Amino acid sequence: MSSISAQGVVERASAELSKRINGLGLRKHHSAKGSVMERVTNVFCGGSNAAVAAPEKPSRLLPTRLKTTPNSITIFPQKKHRPLPLHLTLDQLFLDEQFLNKFFSYFTPYDRCILAQVCTKWRDILYRSPRYWTGLVPVLQCRELRNSLGNDRARLYSSLLGRGFHNLCLMGASDEDAIDLVNTFPLASKHIHTISLRCSSITDRGLESLLDHLQALYELELAGCNEITEAGLWACLNPRIVALTLTDCINVADEAVGAVAQLLPALYEFSLQAYHVTDAALGYFSPKQSNSLNVLRLHSCWEITNHGVVNIVHSLPNLTALSLSGCSKITDDGVELIAENLQKLRSLDLSWCPRITDSALEYIACDLNQLEELTLDRCVHITDIGIGYISTMLSLSALYLRWCSQIRDFGLQHLCGMRNLQILSLAGCPLLTSSGLSSLIQLRHMQELELTNCPGASRELFDYLREHLPRCLVIE
Amino acid sequence: MSKIKLQSSDGETFEVEIEIAKCSVTIKTMLEDLGMDEDEEEVVPLPNVNSAILRKVIQWATYHKDDPPPPEDDENKEKRTDDISSWDADFLKVDQGTLFELILAANYLDIKGLLDVTCKTVANMIKGKAPEEIRKTFNIKNDFTASEEEQVRKENEWCEEK
Repeated sequence: MSSISAQGVVERASAELSKRINGLGLRKHHSAKGSVMERVTNVFCGGSNAAVAAPEKPSRLLPTRLKTTPNSITIFPQKKHRPLPLHLTLDQLFLDEQFLNKFFSYFTPYDRCILAQVCTKWRDILYRSPRYWTGLVPVLQCRELRNSLGNDRARLYSSLLGRGFHNLCLMGASDEDAIDLVNTFPLASKHIHTISLRCSSITDRGLESLLDHLQALYELELAGCNEITEAGLWACLNPRIVALTLTDCINVADEAVGAVAQLLPALYEFSLQAYHVTDAALGYFSPKQSNSLNVLRLHSCWEITNHGVVNIVHSLPNLTALSLSGCSKITDDGVELIAENLQKLRSLDLSWCPRITDSALEYIACDLNQLEELTLDRCVHITDIGIGYISTMLSLSALYLRWCSQIRDFGLQHLCGMRNLQILSLAGCPLLTSSGLSSLIQLRHMQELELTNCPGASRELFDYLREHLPRCLVIE
Repeated sequence: MSKIKLQSSDGETFEVEIEIAKCSVTIKTMLEDLGMDEDEEEVVPLPNVNSAILRKVIQWATYHKDDPPPPEDDENKEKRTDDISSWDADFLKVDQGTLFELILAANYLDIKGLLDVTCKTVANMIKGKAPEEIRKTFNIKNDFTASEEEQVRKENEWCEEK
């Protein structure tokens, strides 16, 4: 559901930015290619860039390429002056920029981290293009980093910036590490948009100096920061922040939600995992946030009951994505409130809500007409009847039913009518048989099917599914 | 169906349907530029492709002659590598040297589909390997200084998926 998350907004913005930066780089690059040195080199050495037959900008490339014709194919009588590509040797091929740019596109950003360590040529080509690194975050191990020289740290930061990273994660950061980053990475104030602090002993003081420095920050994550107090959040949260994640920070409770509600009027996405947050906190959100806040995730907020759901539906009627994963006190009545009042929902996660039964699914199917993604992992009471309700939802494109232990082949028959379904997980459903699962080939639009830990999923079944759903990724 | 003759670097001639030969943009361009008439009995020399590789290329092109034209490349999009058809996978069960020669030929002849599937195969081959193994595979020299190598290691080992 990236289309409706703040991260999506942020990524689109940074993609736009890097497109422009790329554009600049590209132009520079082309003019460099036409340099005298390059042409001379091409004439004498056969040039390594000429191996492409359909240049995008022939007018620019032609002069370079024309000069290369004498040694390309002299045995061939030419009537027109369109040069043929030059032949590279194998050793040249794997250092040829044009070829490598094609070749590198077959790898994930994570794979490319290894490729960049092969040689300077590969590193330079990869580092030049921010598009090679989307989806990654640099995680700085502060304990190791603080033992390196200040110069090395400054170089590391500028290299990350050069690759187009605008996000940073600090692992195990102390106040000193935060203050060192402020001092050795001045450009962060303009260029870092997202920061995560994980498993860090940073206190309110360090967090405040860090956030003071990061003037372009709009996404913040604090995970496992047990020194941060609610007073600290009151002191350092600023209205630029549109996405906030607070996970596993021992001091975070209702007061923290109060600070978020008061200080972040433009908040778009809020993820909270805190055992001690109560129903009352969910009533704090302001009218401004009722418009801006689209995505709310409450993970394992054990104290939350249906009363909390009442507060959510009243204060945040415009939610498009809601997760109550692991909020185990929620019952069918809570889901009924959600279905009746949050009509804009496109994504709903009720995984690990074991009190939910088929009735909840009936409410969802009746009222949430725009729902595209539904997660019901570990809802152990739902049966084929509930699946029958869900199967009437035409808008649904992703459905997760991991470890829903009561679903049988009969339920699958319902699912087979869902022509718009693109992603389905039945991982760990113990009662499904091989023949029941084979009926899933009717789902022609399927892109991803997860059948991990399904006793009914045999080798033959996987072969059969892959044969009949060639465009679908079948996960074993 | 009109045919042309392709001559490999070691002098062997292969008679191929023109439409099949034209899946190579390089050959197509050559024919257009030279204004070769289809009924002329001309021989197109391919001085950079030996007969063993040319035979494989023609075999591939013949099997794929009715494929729809490959979609425009979007370099920003990460390509899948797990979708090699079983025919192609069998076709590419060759030694590493031959595989690299096929990439080289596909790159030179500008046959997008063949380049695509050979690149995928090589990508799958080196995924998960250490930098040193990759250098060995491609015969690439490690030209980092010790401190550069340490730096580039940090810059990359510390990157994680979001």
